[in-house]
This record gives sequence, structure tokens and C-alpha cells, in this order.
Amino acid sequence: MTTRLFGEPIRRVEDERLLRGDGQYVDDLGSDALHLAVVRSPHAHARIVDIDVDAALDVDGLVAIYTYDDLTGPLAEPLPLLIPHPNLTQGRTQYALAKDEVNHVGEAVAMVVATDRYAAEDAVDRIDVTYEPLPAVVGLDAARRAEHLVHDDVPGNVAARMGQSNGDAASAIASAPHRLSLDLQIERSASTPLEGRGVLARWDTEAHRMRVWSSTQTSTGVRAAIAAKLGLDLGQVDVMTPDVGGGFGVKIVHPWPEEVMVPFAARALGRPVKFTEDRREHFVSAAHERAQQHHVEVGFDDDGRILGLAVRFWHDNGAYTPYGLIVPIISSTQLLGPYKPGAYTVEFESLYTNTVIVTPYRGAGRPQGAFVMERTVDAIARYLGKDRIEVRETNFIQPQEMPYDHGLVFQDGKPLIYDSGDFPATLDKLKKLVGWEEFESFRAQARAEGRRVGIGLGCYVEGTGVGPYEGGHVQIETSGKVKVATGLTSQGQGHQTVFAQVVADELGVPIEDVEVVTGDTRRFPYAVGTFASRAAVMSGSAIALAARKVRAKALHIAADALEVDEADLEIVDGVVQVRGASKNQIALGTVAVLSNPLRYAFDRASVAATQFAVGDPTQPPVPEGQEPGLEGRDYYSPNQSTFANGMHAVVVETDPDTAEISILRYCVVHDCGPMINPRVVEGQIHGGVAQGVGGALYERMAYDEHGQLVNASFMDFLMPYVTEIPDTIEIDHLETPTPLNPLGIKGAGEAGVIPTAAALAAAIEDAEGFPITRMPISPSDLFELRRLHAQGDAGSERSDDR
Amino acid sequence: MRIAGDAVLHAPVGEVWDALLDPAILVRTIPGCERLESTGEHTYAMTVTAGVASITGTYAGTVELRDLDRPRSLTMRIAASGAPGTIGADVNVTFSGDDDHTTRLAYEADAVVGGTVGGVGQRMLTSVGRRRAGEFFTAVDDVLTGQAPAAAVDGGRTPSSGTDSEVGTVFTAPARTTGRDDFSKGLVVGGGLVLLGVVAGAVASRRRR
Repeated sequence: MTTRLFGEPIRRVEDERLLRGDGQYVDDLGSDALHLAVVRSPHAHARIVDIDVDAALDVDGLVAIYTYDDLTGPLAEPLPLLIPHPNLTQGRTQYALAKDEVNHVGEAVAMVVATDRYAAEDAVDRIDVTYEPLPAVVGLDAARRAEHLVHDDVPGNVAARMGQSNGDAASAIASAPHRLSLDLQIERSASTPLEGRGVLARWDTEAHRMRVWSSTQTSTGVRAAIAAKLGLDLGQVDVMTPDVGGGFGVKIVHPWPEEVMVPFAARALGRPVKFTEDRREHFVSAAHERAQQHHVEVGFDDDGRILGLAVRFWHDNGAYTPYGLIVPIISSTQLLGPYKPGAYTVEFESLYTNTVIVTPYRGAGRPQGAFVMERTVDAIARYLGKDRIEVRETNFIQPQEMPYDHGLVFQDGKPLIYDSGDFPATLDKLKKLVGWEEFESFRAQARAEGRRVGIGLGCYVEGTGVGPYEGGHVQIETSGKVKVATGLTSQGQGHQTVFAQVVADELGVPIEDVEVVTGDTRRFPYAVGTFASRAAVMSGSAIALAARKVRAKALHIAADALEVDEADLEIVDGVVQVRGASKNQIALGTVAVLSNPLRYAFDRASVAATQFAVGDPTQPPVPEGQEPGLEGRDYYSPNQSTFANGMHAVVVETDPDTAEISILRYCVVHDCGPMINPRVVEGQIHGGVAQGVGGALYERMAYDEHGQLVNASFMDFLMPYVTEIPDTIEIDHLETPTPLNPLGIKGAGEAGVIPTAAALAAAIEDAEGFPITRMPISPSDLFELRRLHAQGDAGSERSDDR
Repeated sequence: MRIAGDAVLHAPVGEVWDALLDPAILVRTIPGCERLESTGEHTYAMTVTAGVASITGTYAGTVELRDLDRPRSLTMRIAASGAPGTIGADVNVTFSGDDDHTTRLAYEADAVVGGTVGGVGQRMLTSVGRRRAGEFFTAVDDVLTGQAPAAAVDGGRTPSSGTDSEVGTVFTAPARTTGRDDFSKGLVVGGGLVLLGVVAGAVASRRRR
């Protein structure tokens, strides 16, 4: 039997090209294309009075200038509200080019096409837009005050109100022995992939076909959007996703204005057109996330058992709501993590502000939820003088309670039911990994040296692998090579490696013979996209099912050719053979030849196949219900998400003078079920933790009161370097399989980022001795907090004991 | 799409009217006009090289003057096509003498532009159109006021004043040698041709599929 590859930490096949600089990103394509550049609003909120393009005409190389007036038909309508929700009563989306009004700095007002990017930007600079500025609503405080409105017809700036309950939380809190209330905030941040957005379009004037390459997390979604907006049949549009330099959620949004305008221009001009976003553009015109204010009321008993939990929060959705309520719904449900409060109620308002739109960013509302829940549990422990681990254990859902129904509706519209997980075991592993019991002696030792250290924990549960479906196609060529396609895209996750591992195992072929293509609608036109930690679960499962079909067909044909029973056959290294009689064999490539009853022997494989006779001579060459070719296609469509979980512990040191925060140790225990490739999983954890550290300690969107983003560059937006990330992220795994898919796997892509802010806040709090209630936190913030607490100006926790 | 504009020319209205119908003058004052041929009463065939930003090309087309109401108004019907696209326009031109020395000329074009040039965006086409029209009228006014030399026709023939050039007469754009009187004619057609080549760009073309 071939060595099983599932579970092997093999090196990623992608790295050969990516690390050598041989990757192909959208901007590496289309050297013959015209370039599109965008005139963006300098105002957070303004009416457009006039657009004068006259001065731009003098730019050599100018080809075209588009404004809203050039848009017709569906393209002149607002961009789609991708995920409507009954509670989103005031959903608003932008136009591909602003019509009459702009609602955030960076909103696209006009687009220029020129022979190169230089000329295009020169022309952009010369387009004179006259604005009538309006009062800008910036930040949640301003949105809640609603002295000014983002959209004239949206009262109170409230896009949506939503609430869910399981039990009577208010009564449970009122009658609880102890009560606490907390106010907790998370600021804005953003995905900031190193490669920004990019689109290239070619319109074939003879075949009337549109080919588009986009740096997206959903090629099928972009395809459908382009077809709809440009009035094309789906069959006229192909969308390809080449190498993508990071997505992290921001590229699941579609279509971006540029994604419809680039194809529009390519068709109008009959020439290829491309757009490559620059860094400032990404900051002000892509998407952000995270900003939420939360108010928590919790009632608990002497053991710290949560009897009632009531959360109200306010979500900043930015200027428009193309992605619906996904983020706040995830916050409101996944906040519960591994815990089972006696009763739970949550209410949120999603509010408009004159800032960049908010759409899911890796973690997607969960970092906020985990922050709220973990801060609450820590507050309970501190209040009761109990160990933080003990309070967590008291509130955990137990393994024997799985599947556990929270009595809520998750973001996919399905019941929030955890399928699997062993939270006590996970925490036990973490406790050992970080040395929880030994920490007090470490603290004492550090204190003796004049150092200030603290330890914090963060637990989470993540719904991964949301539906509705993904598909896979597996074909064995006559050469024996295996071609695999799935529709969702890759942004560097290692899909080509892990899907090849799955197929190699299922078919019994060398992994070198397996080639995986993702995100190309020509190869696989049905797909949803890569987000919500779903690629391995969804496409991995679909590809496994497709490979099983191919295997079954191969065995059937081989049994016929070898004149043996199918049950006696095995496939080893690409050869079908009779178990224990390896001389009686046939290569899979030869089986592929036999699967296609052609009369022409045009290569060595087909000549080799002539020694075998297959098929029932009384039947047609392709019997009813059969198809020629050794290939299979299948889909995986689960009824619900599968829930991964993990727990982080972090040890920090805070400088007594400068308030500098250093991470001494970072430990992760992670349970995503059986790992296809532990190296890839650990890579995801490393990246996630790094992104989480950035979000917790460095990154924020510095909007001024006028809605200008004053840190829209990598000079001012502090993305952490490798120097800010711990040298070693200590990882341990638990592998609790899910019953929901054929591989038993759960998603891992977002895991690292979810509890990071919670764990760091807890560690800083532990080091400093006062509550940390808002993240991110900078040394200046911490310094200021020390000053306030030294003055006796307390934090935002209230307790009410009875 | 509609493009409208006006210009003040420093000559009496009758003189302007006559001047505007002289192809010999137009051929050398219209930006990019290379060749103009009289094909009948008030009809011309011509070749114009014109560009909208980076999209340049040579258009071949016709101009027909209709509804002549000297010296108050006329209509030009224009049709042309070339590699960058097609242009069709009706241009209404009205004249009014402000006083004995100046004439106000107003034009309003309803144009359909197709092909690549039609895909460049309506604001840009409008803006290009207005600018070229402005350049044209300024140039013409320079001639009317004697600040620029007037034109000669092919083979040195100087056409008589008026609108009816002999059918088949070909006007090209040679070196400038002739005097002012001959020049001050043909502005109306000139305005139309400017519109033809560039101004009359438009919006409807973008709806072409």
C-alpha cells in the first residue's frame, strides 16, 4: 500500500514557485493592457456638484474617462447587496461610480483608462470634481448620537437591529447571587493583504467572450456579478484567479466597482484593461472590520457559573452594507465560545458611518466575540478570587453534551449546533503547554528582578466549513497523471498541496502525479468561495468524494480487463493490481485509455491498452448510464457548519517605565479535527497569531473627526514585523473528528487570530492589575491607563453583589 | 448626446454667413481636415483626422447643409466613419448679429457616436468637443479680425464667395498663402466638421454592444 499522505507534514508544492518569485499574480499578467485608475473622493461625506475633465485631456496616453453618467442598465444600479437579511431593513450599497453623493473618503467617483498607470494617474490628478461637503459621521459614538445622518433616508444611522435569546437572561441575571456589568470595545482594523485588489479583463470582439482575471476569493461570484452587470450570459464570461497575495476576507467582497468597470472598459474600448490597486487605495477603498462597542450584563453563582448573560453591542458597518449582517451575527453567536450560560440574550445595532465598508476580516466578528466573553469570564474569576482556568472549566460544554444546541441561529441561517469538541481536554493541554501552575513562581522571580509579567488565556469556538456547497472534479489522463479542479480560490493556503494529498490517498497515486487547479471557472464553474475556514472542509470533502467515484470506475474497468473480482484489487503507485499477485496488473493510465472506447491508437498508452479487452460485447461501447473517460465529479453540501476550537495562552512583560508590551511566550492548543497536513495547519496558526498580535497591539484605523484616514500607509499603519511576533509559537493539537464530512476535518484558516486580543488583554491585565477593556492597546494607551488608575479613576466595570 | 455652445465672431452676420459656407476655408481651418470635396449643392465629402485622447484615426464622411435660412439658421447633417468608430450628428446653427461688427453663433448638436471612440466616456467626449470647437472658433475669429492669414485651395484656385462650389472640386489643406477675404467664409461647415471629427462625440455609442 502506498504510504498514506493524509496527516503527513509534507512541504507545500506552491512554495517552489512562490518563494522563488515565480508566482503569477494579476499584475504579472496583461502587459499589453491599458491601465485603469480611479478618481476617489477626498471627502467623507459630500454631494458631487460637478466633474470637469477638461484639464485631463492634455495628458498623453489618455484613452477614456468614465463617470456615473456613462453607466447604463444594471451597471447604473447600486452594486448588489450580496447577503440580504430580514433584519437589514436599511441596507445600502454603493454605485460602481458615485452618483450624486459620496459617503467615505476613497469612494470611486470617476475612472480613467490610459496607456499606462503613469498617464492614468496624471489624468486622475487633473480631473476637477466640485463637492459640496456634508457633515461626516465618524466612529460609533457619532453614529449612535445620530446628530447627522450618513444616508438621509436612514433614521438614526441604524442599518439593522437584531436580537436572539436562549432562555430568560434578564431574570437569570436579576436573581443571580452576583452580577457584573462591563463595557468593552474593539477598534477598527483591516485585512491588509500584501497584494491589493487587481483585475484584468479581455473582451474577445469576435467570439463575444469576456475573460477576467481577478485577485478574488470567489471567481464564480465575480463571474456572476460581471455577467449580471454587463448584460452578458454566464456562458460568455470566464473568471480566473491566479496566485493571490493574501485575501483574509477582504477579497470575498464582489463585485468591487473595479471588477465591473474594468470589463466594462475592455468591452467599450475593444482592448484589454487592467487595474492594480495601490496601498493607499486599499486602505481607503477596500474594506475594514472589527469596530464594535459592547455592554455586558452577567449574573453568576459562587462557583463562577454563568446563570445569565446579556450582551448589547453596536457594530460599525461603514458607509454601505454589501455583505449584510454576517459580521455582527457571527459576533453575537460565536461570542459564546466553549461556554454554556444558563440563559443568553444578545441584541445589536448595525450602524452607518462615513468610513470604508466593513466586511468579514479573518476571524469575522469572532475576535470581538471572544474578547467580550473571555473578558467577562476573567472578570468573574477576579471578582470571586478564583483561578481563571477553574471558572472556564465550570462553564464549559462537556464532550458528552455534543452535539450541543445553543438555541440560536448561526450566520448561515442554520441552528447553532456544535458537532464536536473536547474543551476540557483542550484546556488541559494548554495548561500543561504554558505551565499555568508554575507561572506564579515565574512571576515572583520576575518581580524580584523588577520586572512586570502577566499571563492570559483566550478560548474560542469557530464555525468552519459553512455551506452551501463546493465541488470537485478528478480526471485520470492516459498518461496516468491526475488532474483535479475545484471552483474555490487559493490565496496562499496550500490548497494545491493538501488537495493533492487527499487525492493521492484516495486513488493510490504518487502525489507528484496530481495537479490541482483552483478558482478557474473554465475548469469548475460551480463554487462558492474561499472564506469562513471552509476550503479544506468543503472542497477537500468534495474532491475526496469525486476521487472515490474515479477509483470505483477504475476498479470496475480494471477488474474487467484483468478478469478478476473488483474486491481483490488495490491501487498502488498508480497501478491497479490484484492483492498478493502484483504481476496481474494494469496502470491507471491504461485504464483511462480503456475507459474511452475510441478506435484510434495514437500513442503508446493506447497501443498498450490493446492487450486488454473490456466491455460486454452485447452492450454498446458506452453502456447506458456510463460515460467515456476516467473522471468523476462530486459535490459536498453539509447541513451545517463544523465547529473547530482552540485555546491560546500568552505571557507578556510590560515595561514599568515605558509601558512597552513584549510577548514572552505564545502557546496554542488547536483542534481542527484530523489534520491533512500539520505543517499547513501550523502555518495557518502562525499567520493567524501574527495577524492577531497586530490587531491587539499595533493596528488601528486612525480616522480623524472629518473621516480622513490619517494612517493610510505602511509607514503609519503598524503592521507587525517578524520582530514583533514571538520567535516560537508553541503549538499542541487535539484531533477531535467531526461526523459531518467524509474526512472528519474542520477548518483552520482563521483560528490563530480569534482569541489573540482576548488573551493579550488578559495577560496585560494580569501584569498591571487593572482591567483592560478596549483593544488594541499601545504603550501610550497603557501608560495613560496607569496614570488614570494611579489617580483612582476606575475602569468600566460595575459589580453588584447581593 | 447633446453638445451645445456658442461663439462670438468679430464680423457682420452676413459676412459670417457667407464665410461659413466656403469649403476652401474650412478645409484648412478645421483641425485635422485633410480633404474636402464638393459632391452637390450644399453637400461635401471629406476626410478628417481626429483624435479623442489616445484614440485617433481618420474619418471619411459627408456633410449636408439643410434648412438654409440666410442669415439666421441652418442645419448640418453629418455622417462619418473611420477606424476609431462612427459619428452621426444633426447640428443646428443659429446666427444673430449683435451689432454691425459682431455675430453670435450658437450651435446645438445631437450626436450618436459608435465604436471605440464612443466608448471613452461621455464627459470626456463632451469636454473634447467643447475644447475643439473653442479652438476652431478662435482660429476663425483670428482670421476674421485679420490676425491670421486665410486659405488657398487646391491648385491655387481661389473659390468665389458663396456656398456652391462646383461639384467635384477638391479642397485640400495646403500651405497658407491667401488673404483674408477668401478666408472669412465657411465657418458653419467648419463648426460642423469639428463636431464631426470630435465634438459630436457621444453617449449613445456607449450603448452599442
